[in-house]
Amino acid sequence: MIVFERLSKKFPGVKALDDVSFRVEEGEIHGLVGENGAGKSTLIKILSGIITDYEGKLFIDGREMSFTAAHQAQNQGVATIFQELTVIRDLSVAENIFLGREPVRMGGVVDTNFMREKSREVLQYLGSTVNPGEIVGRLSIANQQIVEICKALVLNAKIIVMDEPTSSLTEHEVKQLVTFIRRLKERGLTILYVSHKMEEVFHICDTISVLRDGKFIGSVNKEESTPDEVIRMMVGRSMEAMFPPRERHIGEKLLEVRSLSRKGEFEDVSFSLYEGEIVGFAGLIGAGRTELAKTLIGAARPGAGEIRIGKRVFRGFSHPHEAYQAGIAYLPEDRKGEGLVACLTVRENIALSILRRISSYLWVKPQAELSVVDGFIKNLRIKVYHHDQVAETLSGGNQQKVVISKLLATQTDIFIFDEPTRGIDVGAKYEIYRIMNDLTKEGKGIIFISSELPEILGISDRIYCMRAGQLIKEFTHEEASPEKIMHVLTGGNII
Amino acid sequence: MKGKQEAGGTSGFMSVFGRTQFRELPILIYILLMIVFFSFTIPGFWAVRNFENISRQIAVVGIISTGMTLVILTGGIDLSVGSILAFAISIGGAGIPLGRSIWVVYPTILLLGTILGLVNGILITRISVPALIITLGTMNIFRGITMVVTRGIYITPIPFAYMTIGRRYTPFIFLLIVIGVFIFITLRTRFGRNLYAIGGGEQASLYSGVPVVRNKILVYTISGFLSAFAGLILVGRSGFIQPQAGLGYEMNAIAAVVVGGTSIFGGTGSVLGTFFGATLMGLILTGLTMRAVDPYWQGLVTGILVILAISIDSLRQMKSRSISS
Repeated sequence: MIVFERLSKKFPGVKALDDVSFRVEEGEIHGLVGENGAGKSTLIKILSGIITDYEGKLFIDGREMSFTAAHQAQNQGVATIFQELTVIRDLSVAENIFLGREPVRMGGVVDTNFMREKSREVLQYLGSTVNPGEIVGRLSIANQQIVEICKALVLNAKIIVMDEPTSSLTEHEVKQLVTFIRRLKERGLTILYVSHKMEEVFHICDTISVLRDGKFIGSVNKEESTPDEVIRMMVGRSMEAMFPPRERHIGEKLLEVRSLSRKGEFEDVSFSLYEGEIVGFAGLIGAGRTELAKTLIGAARPGAGEIRIGKRVFRGFSHPHEAYQAGIAYLPEDRKGEGLVACLTVRENIALSILRRISSYLWVKPQAELSVVDGFIKNLRIKVYHHDQVAETLSGGNQQKVVISKLLATQTDIFIFDEPTRGIDVGAKYEIYRIMNDLTKEGKGIIFISSELPEILGISDRIYCMRAGQLIKEFTHEEASPEKIMHVLTGGNII
Repeated sequence: MKGKQEAGGTSGFMSVFGRTQFRELPILIYILLMIVFFSFTIPGFWAVRNFENISRQIAVVGIISTGMTLVILTGGIDLSVGSILAFAISIGGAGIPLGRSIWVVYPTILLLGTILGLVNGILITRISVPALIITLGTMNIFRGITMVVTRGIYITPIPFAYMTIGRRYTPFIFLLIVIGVFIFITLRTRFGRNLYAIGGGEQASLYSGVPVVRNKILVYTISGFLSAFAGLILVGRSGFIQPQAGLGYEMNAIAAVVVGGTSIFGGTGSVLGTFFGATLMGLILTGLTMRAVDPYWQGLVTGILVILAISIDSLRQMKSRSISS
């Protein structure tokens, strides 16, 4: 039995967990659901000993745990299978299962035969046909997961935590996984199953707990609840006061994308964007939205399809610079890695995209640069003490404003904002929505990618839903509701 | 906010140091301390003749280090500089025994260096393997071709005209010119801006429309050109051309760059710092030689300095990471 008692965890600018208390009974399959950013990952990181500085208490079988490292959690019988698998691709199945605790014979020689035999036993127990001698890198993702599960079993794990285990599995593999999970339950193991796929959770789990905005909302018994109720628990929150008022003035068509495809990422995507419009792209992580954005701005080439901007038709761009010139600017989702050059100053970051315009011949003109930079610092209210402050010393919200300034400086008409409010506090979010509203007032169009439903609903004029690389549904602002969108995204069958 | 009002003008002096927040200052102090220390402890150190000597010594490595600075600023590295130097002067200098004019030989040498640098740049941007590995390969390839073509034979004697560039303070003056030009380029031009940006965040630069590939190729090309140019000075100083020339120069150049405060991870540093770094290394090595320390100690001292400088840099990086996350 696991008991979480008043767990809280703060990250700079965000309260990831806020006074969370609930219990997971022994021998049950317990679903943990919530939107992206609800606190699921933080919770399982605490349970698996990765996050060690938190408030509150954690009990396993009545004893209080205070893990200071991941292996301590393992010793207490908690095995976590993360979305990013931790198998070593170049080693065999058996070597992976016994990694770090290889059985040795006299003289320190690894007992390969014992490893193979034992591995075969565990695999057979689960009903898997994987050969213990096979190299793990050659297995499917589903079978690699099995290897991780076997690893946990050999460790005598009592609690298995699975983080979005089906996110990259095919339907058939999901069924297989479900059988394995049921076997584990029969053996008396406790399973904490983290997911946001409603159908799946209701199929597998006995009890379902819901987190939202870092808070515990409630636990329901599968028999006594419905997917509808759980979805409502996941998304229900007040939307007033989070978003600045928005007036809509839709103009001419700015952008039309026709049957754009890129193999393995997205397929046959068609949509349009008008002047003065914010178009939301809703989807779960991995739905192909960022890949689509990166193709639109020339970081990747599309396999098929075309991009129409005004009267011009493009078959994709070969460099982001071409996309800028055609009129598309991109705000990357990974602010630190792709948006900001952390070690440069605010001035240098903002000027990076327009160096050509503020140079005569090869030289950068300091006056032209400063007038642009200081203008943005003032208009977007970027809090710096000097424009030569190093960018990484700013707060998340102000860093994001620097990246946005860099985009605005390009004076393009089409903006792609990919998760613009990730990891920044509520006040700064509000300001970013305001900046987006102001942009559309000037007749610009914004493609707004976000995994947070409330903000997609809060400021988008139209909403496209993407799932598994396909654009499957479009809602107008009036039609859309969190429940409807969640159903589309999670593949729930009630529409 | 007082800072806001000052925002308008950045003084000329500030702008040379400006972006690096005086990171070069400590090295300048070390240099002065070194000079004082050696002057008191080594007889004959404080002499015009000796400073001329040191200045000639640091010129060759200093010029190569300038190119290396640009490369390292983008987050790359160029191990082939010594081999490019040898290739350029040995093969470009093959015209000397045939009586070719210096106005043919010099451009040939510089052109060869530039081409080899270009080859490096193209390989590094085409093949997705770290620059360290690619230039480790070309280092051996360029040296290998040089040895095969020359069959290890020296070119000597060298006509008097080739010595002009190596006489008295001439090498040092050339070093100062190269340093000056590249300080200007790194701090004032679009290309310079792009170098820092690429080293600080290649993806972010790409998404900002920076021509990443073109700039990287250019950087290795410049490094090749400067290596060949340093070769001209080496020939002028030594009076002969040997295919083994420039052996181990890549280490000295990297040492000057990192001791000069440029981050081995790219994105921060300066050409001025490299000049100081090269000077400091030159002083220390001369000091050791004059105290009749076994030459084998020189490599050891260089190695220790490099590791020291890199550790400081790495600590600084970790600190700034922990602040920002």
